Amino acid sequence: MTDPNELNDDELMAELAAAVEEEAAVSDRRRNAARMAFTWRTVDAELAELLHDSALDAGAAVRSSGSPSGAPRTLTFVRGAITLEIEVDGDALLGEVVDDAGAGPATVTLQRPDADDRSVEADASGFFRFDGVEPGPARFVVTREGWSLTTPWATI
Amino acid sequence: METTDPLATLVPAAREGDQSAWNAIVDRFLPLVGAIIRRHRLSEADGDDVSQTVWLRLVEHLGALREPDALPGWIRTTTRNECLRVLAARSRTRPVDPQDSGGLDAVAGDVADTELLAAERRQALREALAELPAGRRELLLLLLTDPPLAYDEISARLDIPIGSIGPTRARALEQLRRTRALRGLGPDPVGGVV
Repeated sequence: MTDPNELNDDELMAELAAAVEEEAAVSDRRRNAARMAFTWRTVDAELAELLHDSALDAGAAVRSSGSPSGAPRTLTFVRGAITLEIEVDGDALLGEVVDDAGAGPATVTLQRPDADDRSVEADASGFFRFDGVEPGPARFVVTREGWSLTTPWATI
Repeated sequence: METTDPLATLVPAAREGDQSAWNAIVDRFLPLVGAIIRRHRLSEADGDDVSQTVWLRLVEHLGALREPDALPGWIRTTTRNECLRVLAARSRTRPVDPQDSGGLDAVAGDVADTELLAAERRQALREALAELPAGRRELLLLLLTDPPLAYDEISARLDIPIGSIGPTRARALEQLRRTRALRGLGPDPVGGVV
Protein backbone atom coordinates (compact mmCIF):
# COMPACT_ATOMS: atom_id res chain seq x y z
CA MET A 1 0.00 0.00 0.00
CA THR A 2 1.14 3.50 -0.72
CA ASP A 3 2.41 5.56 2.17
CA PRO A 4 -0.14 8.33 2.86
CA ASN A 5 2.69 10.82 2.49
CA GLU A 6 3.08 9.79 -1.12
CA LEU A 7 -0.58 10.24 -2.00
CA ASN A 8 -1.61 13.50 -3.56
CA ASP A 9 -4.41 15.48 -1.95
CA ASP A 10 -7.19 14.01 -4.07
CA GLU A 11 -6.03 10.43 -3.48
CA LEU A 12 -5.82 11.08 0.22
CA MET A 13 -9.34 12.55 0.21
CA ALA A 14 -10.60 9.42 -1.58
CA GLU A 15 -9.11 7.18 1.13
CA LEU A 16 -10.55 9.43 3.79
CA ALA A 17 -13.97 9.09 2.18
CA ALA A 18 -13.76 5.29 2.43
CA ALA A 19 -12.64 5.54 6.07
CA VAL A 20 -15.46 7.88 7.01
CA GLU A 21 -18.01 5.79 5.13
CA GLU A 22 -17.00 2.75 7.17
CA GLU A 23 -17.80 4.72 10.29
CA ALA A 24 -21.30 5.50 9.01
CA ALA A 25 -21.91 1.78 8.29
CA VAL A 26 -21.94 0.85 12.00
CA SER A 27 -25.36 -0.36 13.14
CA ASP A 28 -26.98 1.05 16.27
CA ARG A 29 -27.64 -2.52 17.34
CA ARG A 30 -23.92 -3.33 17.47
CA ARG A 31 -23.10 0.02 19.02
CA ASN A 32 -25.59 -0.51 21.83
CA ALA A 33 -24.45 -4.09 22.45
CA ALA A 34 -20.83 -2.92 22.58
CA ARG A 35 -21.63 -0.12 25.03
CA MET A 36 -23.65 -2.48 27.21
CA ALA A 37 -20.69 -4.88 27.37
CA PHE A 38 -19.15 -2.50 29.90
CA THR A 39 -21.74 -3.51 32.50
CA TRP A 40 -19.91 -6.89 32.61
CA ARG A 41 -16.79 -5.23 33.92
CA THR A 42 -15.48 -7.09 36.96
CA VAL A 43 -12.31 -5.92 38.60
CA ASP A 44 -11.20 -8.99 40.51
CA ALA A 45 -12.51 -12.02 38.62
CA GLU A 46 -10.09 -14.95 38.49
CA LEU A 47 -9.89 -15.31 34.72
CA ALA A 48 -9.18 -18.68 33.21
CA GLU A 49 -7.31 -19.00 29.94
CA LEU A 50 -8.80 -20.47 26.78
CA LEU A 51 -6.19 -23.13 26.21
CA HIS A 52 -7.69 -24.85 23.21
CA ASP A 53 -10.62 -24.41 20.82
CA SER A 54 -11.08 -27.19 18.28
CA ALA A 55 -12.76 -24.65 15.97
CA LEU A 56 -9.34 -23.06 15.46
CA ASP A 57 -7.57 -26.33 14.68
CA ALA A 58 -5.88 -26.18 11.30
CA GLY A 59 -8.35 -27.15 8.61
CA ALA A 60 -11.21 -27.62 11.10
CA ALA A 61 -13.78 -26.19 8.73
CA VAL A 62 -12.59 -28.27 5.80
CA ARG A 63 -12.54 -31.53 7.76
CA SER A 64 -15.94 -31.15 9.28
CA SER A 65 -17.54 -30.26 5.97
CA GLY A 66 -16.12 -33.51 4.60
CA SER A 67 -17.83 -35.51 7.32
CA PRO A 68 -21.39 -34.27 7.90
CA SER A 69 -21.47 -35.69 11.41
CA GLY A 70 -18.31 -33.67 12.27
CA ALA A 71 -16.97 -33.95 15.80
CA PRO A 72 -18.52 -31.47 18.23
CA ARG A 73 -16.52 -28.35 18.99
CA THR A 74 -14.61 -28.54 22.24
CA LEU A 75 -13.22 -25.68 24.30
CA THR A 76 -10.69 -26.11 27.09
CA PHE A 77 -10.22 -23.48 29.78
CA VAL A 78 -7.49 -23.68 32.40
CA ARG A 79 -6.57 -21.86 35.54
CA GLY A 80 -3.99 -23.37 37.87
CA ALA A 81 -5.00 -26.91 38.76
CA ILE A 82 -8.53 -26.42 37.38
CA THR A 83 -9.53 -27.43 33.87
CA LEU A 84 -12.96 -26.75 32.39
CA GLU A 85 -13.87 -28.69 29.27
CA ILE A 86 -16.90 -27.67 27.22
CA GLU A 87 -18.31 -29.61 24.31
CA VAL A 88 -20.78 -27.83 22.05
CA ASP A 89 -23.23 -30.38 20.66
CA GLY A 90 -26.02 -28.60 18.80
CA ASP A 91 -27.83 -26.51 21.40
CA ALA A 92 -26.49 -28.64 24.28
CA LEU A 93 -23.36 -27.81 26.23
CA LEU A 94 -21.69 -30.76 27.93
CA GLY A 95 -18.96 -29.95 30.38
CA GLU A 96 -16.51 -31.33 32.86
CA VAL A 97 -14.72 -29.67 35.75
CA VAL A 98 -11.36 -31.29 36.42
CA ASP A 99 -9.58 -30.31 39.62
CA ASP A 100 -6.16 -31.84 40.08
CA ALA A 101 -6.30 -30.84 43.73
CA GLY A 102 -9.27 -33.10 44.42
CA ALA A 103 -13.01 -33.42 43.83
CA GLY A 104 -15.93 -31.73 45.53
CA PRO A 105 -19.30 -30.14 44.75
CA ALA A 106 -19.02 -27.46 42.07
CA THR A 107 -21.58 -25.02 40.69
CA VAL A 108 -21.30 -24.00 37.05
CA THR A 109 -23.01 -20.81 35.93
CA LEU A 110 -23.64 -20.02 32.26
CA GLN A 111 -23.64 -16.27 31.64
CA ARG A 112 -25.04 -14.64 28.50
CA PRO A 113 -25.06 -10.88 27.87
CA ASP A 114 -28.78 -10.86 27.01
CA ALA A 115 -30.22 -13.47 29.37
CA ASP A 116 -30.40 -14.38 33.03
CA ASP A 117 -27.65 -16.53 34.49
CA ARG A 118 -28.28 -20.28 34.56
CA SER A 119 -26.61 -22.49 37.15
CA VAL A 120 -26.23 -26.25 37.47
CA GLU A 121 -24.41 -28.49 39.93
CA ALA A 122 -21.67 -30.66 38.51
CA ASP A 123 -22.05 -34.34 39.46
CA ALA A 124 -19.57 -36.21 41.64
CA SER A 125 -17.33 -36.79 38.62
CA GLY A 126 -17.42 -33.14 37.66
CA PHE A 127 -19.80 -33.50 34.70
CA PHE A 128 -22.59 -31.03 33.92
CA ARG A 129 -24.95 -30.15 31.09
CA PHE A 130 -26.89 -27.17 29.76
CA ASP A 131 -29.67 -27.72 27.21
CA GLY A 132 -31.37 -25.27 24.88
CA VAL A 133 -28.39 -22.94 24.54
CA GLU A 134 -28.81 -20.46 21.69
CA PRO A 135 -25.80 -19.29 19.65
CA GLY A 136 -24.07 -16.15 20.88
CA PRO A 137 -21.50 -14.93 23.40
CA ALA A 138 -21.19 -16.98 26.58
CA ARG A 139 -18.91 -17.47 29.52
CA PHE A 140 -18.79 -19.82 32.48
CA VAL A 141 -18.22 -19.27 36.16
CA VAL A 142 -17.22 -22.30 38.21
CA THR A 143 -17.50 -21.94 41.97
CA ARG A 144 -16.45 -24.45 44.55
CA GLU A 145 -15.63 -24.03 48.18
CA GLY A 146 -12.46 -22.01 48.34
CA TRP A 147 -12.26 -20.82 44.75
CA SER A 148 -14.09 -19.57 41.71
CA LEU A 149 -13.04 -19.33 38.10
CA THR A 150 -14.41 -17.22 35.26
CA THR A 151 -13.73 -18.08 31.63
CA PRO A 152 -13.16 -15.50 28.91
CA TRP A 153 -16.15 -14.79 26.67
CA ALA A 154 -16.50 -16.96 23.59
CA THR A 155 -19.04 -17.08 20.77
CA ILE A 156 -20.73 -20.45 20.77
CA MET B 1 -14.87 11.85 27.21
CA GLU B 2 -14.74 12.28 23.43
CA THR B 3 -13.78 9.85 20.70
CA THR B 4 -11.03 12.33 19.82
CA ASP B 5 -9.35 11.98 23.23
CA PRO B 6 -6.06 10.08 23.04
CA LEU B 7 -6.10 6.37 23.84
CA ALA B 8 -3.61 7.09 26.61
CA THR B 9 -6.47 8.97 28.31
CA LEU B 10 -9.41 6.77 27.30
CA VAL B 11 -7.97 3.37 28.19
CA PRO B 12 -6.98 4.15 31.81
CA ALA B 13 -10.30 5.95 32.37
CA ALA B 14 -12.26 2.95 31.08
CA ARG B 15 -10.14 0.68 33.24
CA GLU B 16 -11.26 2.74 36.24
CA GLY B 17 -14.89 2.27 35.26
CA ASP B 18 -15.66 5.41 33.24
CA GLN B 19 -18.55 4.48 30.94
CA SER B 20 -18.13 7.57 28.75
CA ALA B 21 -14.49 6.62 28.10
CA TRP B 22 -15.65 3.12 27.18
CA ASN B 23 -18.30 4.53 24.83
CA ALA B 24 -15.63 6.65 23.17
CA ILE B 25 -13.44 3.57 22.63
CA VAL B 26 -16.43 1.69 21.22
CA ASP B 27 -17.37 4.51 18.84
CA ARG B 28 -13.79 4.75 17.68
CA PHE B 29 -13.16 1.07 16.94
CA LEU B 30 -16.58 -0.30 15.95
CA PRO B 31 -15.89 0.56 12.30
CA LEU B 32 -12.68 -1.51 12.41
CA VAL B 33 -14.45 -4.46 14.04
CA GLY B 34 -17.28 -4.15 11.49
CA ALA B 35 -14.87 -3.99 8.56
CA ILE B 36 -13.04 -7.16 9.64
CA ILE B 37 -16.33 -9.01 10.21
CA ARG B 38 -17.57 -7.91 6.78
CA ARG B 39 -14.42 -9.26 5.11
CA HIS B 40 -15.07 -12.66 6.69
CA ARG B 41 -18.55 -12.76 5.18
CA LEU B 42 -20.37 -13.87 8.32
CA SER B 43 -24.15 -13.75 8.52
CA GLU B 44 -25.57 -10.62 10.09
CA ALA B 45 -26.51 -12.53 13.27
CA ASP B 46 -23.09 -14.19 13.56
CA GLY B 47 -21.49 -10.82 12.93
CA ASP B 48 -23.48 -9.34 15.80
CA ASP B 49 -22.33 -12.20 18.05
CA VAL B 50 -18.68 -11.79 17.09
CA SER B 51 -18.84 -8.04 17.61
CA GLN B 52 -20.39 -8.43 21.05
CA THR B 53 -17.86 -11.10 22.05
CA VAL B 54 -14.97 -8.86 21.01
CA TRP B 55 -16.24 -6.02 23.22
CA LEU B 56 -16.97 -8.34 26.14
CA ARG B 57 -13.43 -9.67 25.85
CA LEU B 58 -12.02 -6.17 25.72
CA VAL B 59 -13.87 -5.31 28.94
CA GLU B 60 -12.05 -8.12 30.69
CA HIS B 61 -8.76 -7.36 28.89
CA LEU B 62 -8.61 -3.66 29.87
CA GLY B 63 -6.75 -4.42 33.08
CA ALA B 64 -4.01 -6.27 31.19
CA LEU B 65 -3.72 -3.64 28.46
CA ARG B 66 -0.81 -1.60 29.81
CA GLU B 67 0.12 -0.08 26.47
CA PRO B 68 -2.93 1.78 25.09
CA ASP B 69 -1.36 1.97 21.61
CA ALA B 70 -1.54 -1.83 21.45
CA LEU B 71 -5.34 -1.61 21.41
CA PRO B 72 -5.91 -1.45 17.62
CA GLY B 73 -3.71 -4.52 17.10
CA TRP B 74 -5.45 -6.38 19.91
CA ILE B 75 -8.87 -5.57 18.44
CA ARG B 76 -7.81 -6.69 14.97
CA THR B 77 -6.36 -9.99 16.20
CA THR B 78 -9.27 -10.76 18.52
CA THR B 79 -11.91 -9.95 15.91
CA ARG B 80 -10.21 -12.03 13.26
CA ASN B 81 -9.79 -15.02 15.57
CA GLU B 82 -13.39 -14.82 16.70
CA CYS B 83 -14.54 -14.68 13.05
CA LEU B 84 -12.51 -17.80 12.28
CA ARG B 85 -13.88 -19.63 15.32
CA VAL B 86 -17.46 -18.86 14.37
CA LEU B 87 -16.94 -19.75 10.71
CA ALA B 88 -15.47 -23.11 11.73
CA ALA B 89 -18.05 -23.78 14.44
CA ARG B 90 -20.99 -22.97 12.15
CA SER B 91 -19.64 -25.16 9.38
CA ARG B 92 -20.06 -28.14 11.73
CA THR B 93 -23.76 -27.56 12.04
CA ARG B 94 -24.37 -26.33 8.49
CA PRO B 95 -22.65 -28.80 6.19
CA VAL B 96 -21.22 -27.31 3.05
CA ASP B 97 -22.41 -28.62 -0.28
CA PRO B 98 -19.24 -29.87 -2.00
CA GLN B 99 -20.85 -28.99 -5.34
CA ASP B 100 -20.93 -25.38 -4.28
CA SER B 101 -17.35 -24.49 -5.05
CA GLY B 102 -17.55 -21.09 -3.41
CA GLY B 103 -18.99 -22.50 -0.19
CA LEU B 104 -15.91 -24.26 1.03
CA ASP B 105 -13.72 -21.25 0.50
CA ALA B 106 -16.26 -19.14 2.29
CA VAL B 107 -16.10 -21.21 5.46
CA ALA B 108 -12.48 -22.25 5.34
CA GLY B 109 -11.09 -19.02 3.95
CA ASP B 110 -9.07 -16.73 6.09
CA VAL B 111 -8.99 -13.11 5.07
CA ALA B 112 -5.87 -11.92 3.32
CA ASP B 113 -3.48 -9.90 5.43
CA THR B 114 -3.62 -7.11 2.87
CA GLU B 115 -7.34 -6.70 3.53
CA LEU B 116 -6.77 -6.53 7.28
CA LEU B 117 -4.00 -4.02 6.71
CA ALA B 118 -6.33 -1.93 4.55
CA ALA B 119 -8.98 -2.01 7.29
CA GLU B 120 -6.42 -0.97 9.85
CA ARG B 121 -5.18 1.78 7.57
CA ARG B 122 -8.70 3.20 7.31
CA GLN B 123 -8.80 3.06 11.10
CA ALA B 124 -5.53 5.03 11.20
CA LEU B 125 -7.07 7.61 8.85
CA ARG B 126 -10.03 8.02 11.23
CA GLU B 127 -7.57 8.33 14.11
CA ALA B 128 -5.64 10.94 12.17
CA LEU B 129 -8.84 12.91 11.55
CA ALA B 130 -9.53 12.79 15.28
CA GLU B 131 -6.12 14.32 15.94
CA LEU B 132 -6.80 17.38 13.78
CA PRO B 133 -8.05 20.61 15.32
CA ALA B 134 -11.87 20.64 15.24
CA GLY B 135 -12.11 23.35 12.56
CA ARG B 136 -9.92 21.54 10.08
CA ARG B 137 -11.57 18.18 10.79
CA GLU B 138 -15.01 19.67 10.20
CA LEU B 139 -13.90 21.20 6.93
CA LEU B 140 -12.56 17.87 5.66
CA LEU B 141 -15.73 16.08 6.73
CA LEU B 142 -17.90 18.62 4.95
CA LEU B 143 -15.76 18.25 1.83
CA LEU B 144 -16.29 14.47 2.02
CA THR B 145 -20.05 14.73 2.23
CA ASP B 146 -21.88 12.60 -0.29
CA PRO B 147 -23.51 14.15 -2.28
CA PRO B 148 -20.94 16.96 -2.21
CA LEU B 149 -21.76 20.28 -0.62
CA ALA B 150 -21.25 23.48 -2.59
CA TYR B 151 -18.40 25.69 -1.41
CA ASP B 152 -20.79 28.53 -0.51
CA GLU B 153 -22.73 26.10 1.69
CA ILE B 154 -19.51 24.99 3.42
CA SER B 155 -18.47 28.63 3.74
CA ALA B 156 -21.78 29.46 5.44
CA ARG B 157 -21.68 26.45 7.79
CA LEU B 158 -18.13 27.04 9.00
CA ASP B 159 -18.32 30.81 8.73
CA ILE B 160 -15.14 31.03 6.65
CA PRO B 161 -14.58 32.81 3.31
CA ILE B 162 -15.05 30.68 0.18
CA GLY B 163 -11.58 31.64 -0.95
CA SER B 164 -9.99 30.06 2.12
CA ILE B 165 -11.58 26.61 1.66
CA GLY B 166 -9.05 25.36 -0.90
CA PRO B 167 -5.95 26.55 0.97
CA THR B 168 -7.35 25.30 4.32
CA ARG B 169 -8.05 21.90 2.77
CA ALA B 170 -4.45 21.70 1.58
CA ARG B 171 -3.12 22.70 5.02
CA ALA B 172 -5.47 20.27 6.78
CA LEU B 173 -4.28 17.38 4.59
CA GLU B 174 -0.67 18.35 5.15
CA GLN B 175 -1.28 18.34 8.87
CA LEU B 176 -3.11 15.02 8.56
CA ARG B 177 -0.02 13.44 6.99
CA ARG B 178 2.02 14.58 9.98
CA THR B 179 -0.37 13.23 12.62
CA ARG B 180 0.81 10.64 15.07
CA ALA B 181 -1.67 8.13 13.62
CA LEU B 182 -0.30 8.38 10.07
CA ARG B 183 3.36 8.74 10.99
CA GLY B 184 2.96 5.37 12.72
CA LEU B 185 2.09 3.76 9.39
CA GLY B 186 5.37 2.35 8.18
CA PRO B 187 5.94 -0.48 5.71
CA ASP B 188 4.13 -2.76 8.22
CA PRO B 189 1.65 -0.50 9.96
CA VAL B 190 0.21 -3.33 12.00
CA GLY B 191 3.26 -4.24 14.01
CA GLY B 192 3.49 -7.21 16.33
CA VAL B 193 0.66 -9.58 17.09
CA VAL B 194 -0.78 -9.14 20.56
